[in-house]
Amino acid sequence: MSQTRKRRVVITGMGSVTPMGLSVEETWRNLVAGKSGIRPIAVFDASTFPTTFAAQVPDFDLAPYVRDPAPYATAGRNVRFAMAAARMAMDDAGLAPGKFDPDRAGIYLGSGEGALDFLTLVDAIANGTGPDGKVSAVGFAEVGFKRYVGLRELEQEPNMPANHLAAEYGIGGPTFSCLTACAASTQAIGEATDLIRNSRADLIVGGGTHSMIHPLGVTGFNLLTAISTEHKDEPWRASRPFDRDRAGFVLGEGSTIMILEELQHARARGARIWAEVVGFGSSADAYRMTDIHPEGRGPVAAMRLALADAGVRPEDIDYISAHGTGTQENDRVETLSVKIAFGPHAPQVPISSVKSALGHLIAAAGATELMTCVLAIRDQVLPPTLNLENPDPECDLDYVPNAARKAKVDVCLSNSFGFGGQNDSLVVRRFVP
Amino acid sequence: MDRRIVITGLGVVSPAGVGAAALAEAVRAGRSAVGPITRFDASAYPCRVAGEVREFDPADGIRKDQTRYVRKMSKVMAIDIQLALAASNLAILDTGLPIGDPRTNEPVLPTVDHARFGMVFGTGFIPTELDDLAGPVQASRTDGRFSMSRWGTHGIPQMFPLWLLKYLPNMHSCHTGILWDAQGPSNSLTCSDAGGLLAVDEAVRILRRGAADRMLAGGAESRVNPTLLMRYCLLGRLATGGADPAAACRPFDLGRTGQVNAEGAAVLALEGLDTAQTRGARLYGEVLGTGCATTRAGIDACEADGRAVAAAVRGALQDAGAAPEDLGAVFAHGTAFEKQDQGEAAGLAAALGPAARTVPVTATKGVTGNMGAASGLADLAVALLLAKDGLVPPILNCERPDPRAGLAFVTGRPVPLAKDLVLATTHAIGGQTAAVVIRVTR
Repeated sequence: MSQTRKRRVVITGMGSVTPMGLSVEETWRNLVAGKSGIRPIAVFDASTFPTTFAAQVPDFDLAPYVRDPAPYATAGRNVRFAMAAARMAMDDAGLAPGKFDPDRAGIYLGSGEGALDFLTLVDAIANGTGPDGKVSAVGFAEVGFKRYVGLRELEQEPNMPANHLAAEYGIGGPTFSCLTACAASTQAIGEATDLIRNSRADLIVGGGTHSMIHPLGVTGFNLLTAISTEHKDEPWRASRPFDRDRAGFVLGEGSTIMILEELQHARARGARIWAEVVGFGSSADAYRMTDIHPEGRGPVAAMRLALADAGVRPEDIDYISAHGTGTQENDRVETLSVKIAFGPHAPQVPISSVKSALGHLIAAAGATELMTCVLAIRDQVLPPTLNLENPDPECDLDYVPNAARKAKVDVCLSNSFGFGGQNDSLVVRRFVP
Repeated sequence: MDRRIVITGLGVVSPAGVGAAALAEAVRAGRSAVGPITRFDASAYPCRVAGEVREFDPADGIRKDQTRYVRKMSKVMAIDIQLALAASNLAILDTGLPIGDPRTNEPVLPTVDHARFGMVFGTGFIPTELDDLAGPVQASRTDGRFSMSRWGTHGIPQMFPLWLLKYLPNMHSCHTGILWDAQGPSNSLTCSDAGGLLAVDEAVRILRRGAADRMLAGGAESRVNPTLLMRYCLLGRLATGGADPAAACRPFDLGRTGQVNAEGAAVLALEGLDTAQTRGARLYGEVLGTGCATTRAGIDACEADGRAVAAAVRGALQDAGAAPEDLGAVFAHGTAFEKQDQGEAAGLAAALGPAARTVPVTATKGVTGNMGAASGLADLAVALLLAKDGLVPPILNCERPDPRAGLAFVTGRPVPLAKDLVLATTHAIGGQTAAVVIRVTR
């Protein structure tokens, strides 16, 4: 961080709902223990889909997390996850109503679409499809007006989780929602940090929420051959970042919310400080829609910019939380990018991908992975990359294979690279007054 | 002192036509571009009018190699993305930056540091075109019912491989970035109607923190499709009354019956005053301040007191170091949905204070309908172009302005632009609210 910058941004609360736990600590315990959250898909019948498994959040009751469950009757899983994670984050930060000025508080989420009413959609399409294979809006509307519910349709807009949060907590400051595919919540936390640095807000409820474990989500990724179709009988083996036999990512879902707060504001109210967000870098590949730049142009730039913003050198980084999706291309290019950005120091930096256990939370992935960096700093332990059984000659760095590892951890880099080429990196550091 | 940020390029594709000038002229003349829906048969819908973009080509005016890319990819670009690309192209070409010669393998913008050229785009979540699913859905039916099991075996294989990418809301930025080799910071804001002006807010902060030399702030959305028309009908927000489509959208008029869905894209090219002056760029105006806030009334609610609108407007004025009486015009969101209009008017009146009696307030949606994420940016483009003639345009169809508003609505004909500062504001249903103050160059 530059010397002239006066406003420092710290994390004072975290809340999380993931396939491996309904709290930060439960998720972390399971990650460090080397468990996996990947199971056969249960939220809809995916038994005949090319991919039949995903990492799903266990069922839970929303009522304890909200003042009144009524406004959430038509909400999707993304909103439910965000509301639960946010309540835990607010409680963790000690932010009861009246403890902060709601007009100096903002929201910045990386968030995806709400629940699509898939069965109405397909029935309405079938009703409208003529002999020419085209869908008439008249036939579509006939079914649609009977069955679609306005509010549920509105809930598909990706800004709905942010809007629900504003209503639930009375937050009145800057509110943003972004969807840079898989990079969204890293970007959200990075830009939220900028809003606080610029004095646009004193605290921001930041993070991500998403579920693409719905019929069109799985369909879309299957068509792109981006998700693994292998290991159906042992799905916990399907997410294999950096392994030679990796065959795509595994869909996850969930939400991680962080309370990002200006340091003096946090101190004045005696808040416990988890860590400091010190660096952010954003870039674009500007290469191809479906391929990553072969020399990792965008990822290298994002990492370098984040390090420069943090004012740290590669040798200061104790751990990299990889984007590490488990696709052939990502893991190869990410490895190369780390080598370019870190130079001769690259082999010394432990890197792991918690997607090996949690699956890919898409818009919620970055915030969840940043959370694991914060916990790695607290506990001085690195979460493992599971299923790394067969080394890939092109992935030859230290990926913390298969078992958690004790380590000195003070400064971490977290990478997120979005489909389409938007890349973001964050640097988070143990808080030193 | 913060770096001064100027606007050096405008790109607009709207129901009024291709180009910012086409929109500005329609708004100045009070000529409506709202018409009966032609894109699909809307006869089963209670609202059958929209602001449609009739003809545009996202490959217009660009290099041959770029044209090839657009032609090849356009089949996997939803119309939102094509609109965004077209408006981005217009804005970049409008900056007067030299274009490289592809025959000698020059970069597309040889004088630009491509690693420091970025963009922020306001977008919506794009619903699938129904035809894309028609065959797969038919193949998945058995005994007259949809079967998820058959979808897996018979439906999915009939879909085209890049289906998902055709609708991702970050593709506005991704394709524009690829086409113009923009490798700098890139974001996609899904903040509904507020997305475009929030993109200005974020792009300006990115420029001020030194993370880029030049940025596009864009917004693009199409709500002219069977799915989104249904959504807004079900939410009870669309205009239903009247036989004349041109009179359907009536911002701040006592006879308003709701908003009109539309489509369009608007992009501002932003850079530092320093670099713009060095290259002798045409300066349309300067971004002086931005403000943002949020509604906390619930996802489908309108704040009757317009608290978020007032907060965003005050924030933008404060950021600009300006007082309400310094404003020559306010471009309101003015959707013509009654509760939303009333709340916005209350918020504007509160933020403007005594100046509310004199600052001209206008709105453009009578001409275009609601272009979603493109709205506020299109308004800024109109304000910048009409400033050349020193005019504030009237609100089309505002014949009996709501007297409870307490605002100086511009009706009937343009009024003089007495001062050089213009404010635009937009807000999303139930949430994000943004305001931007610019200084126009006359």
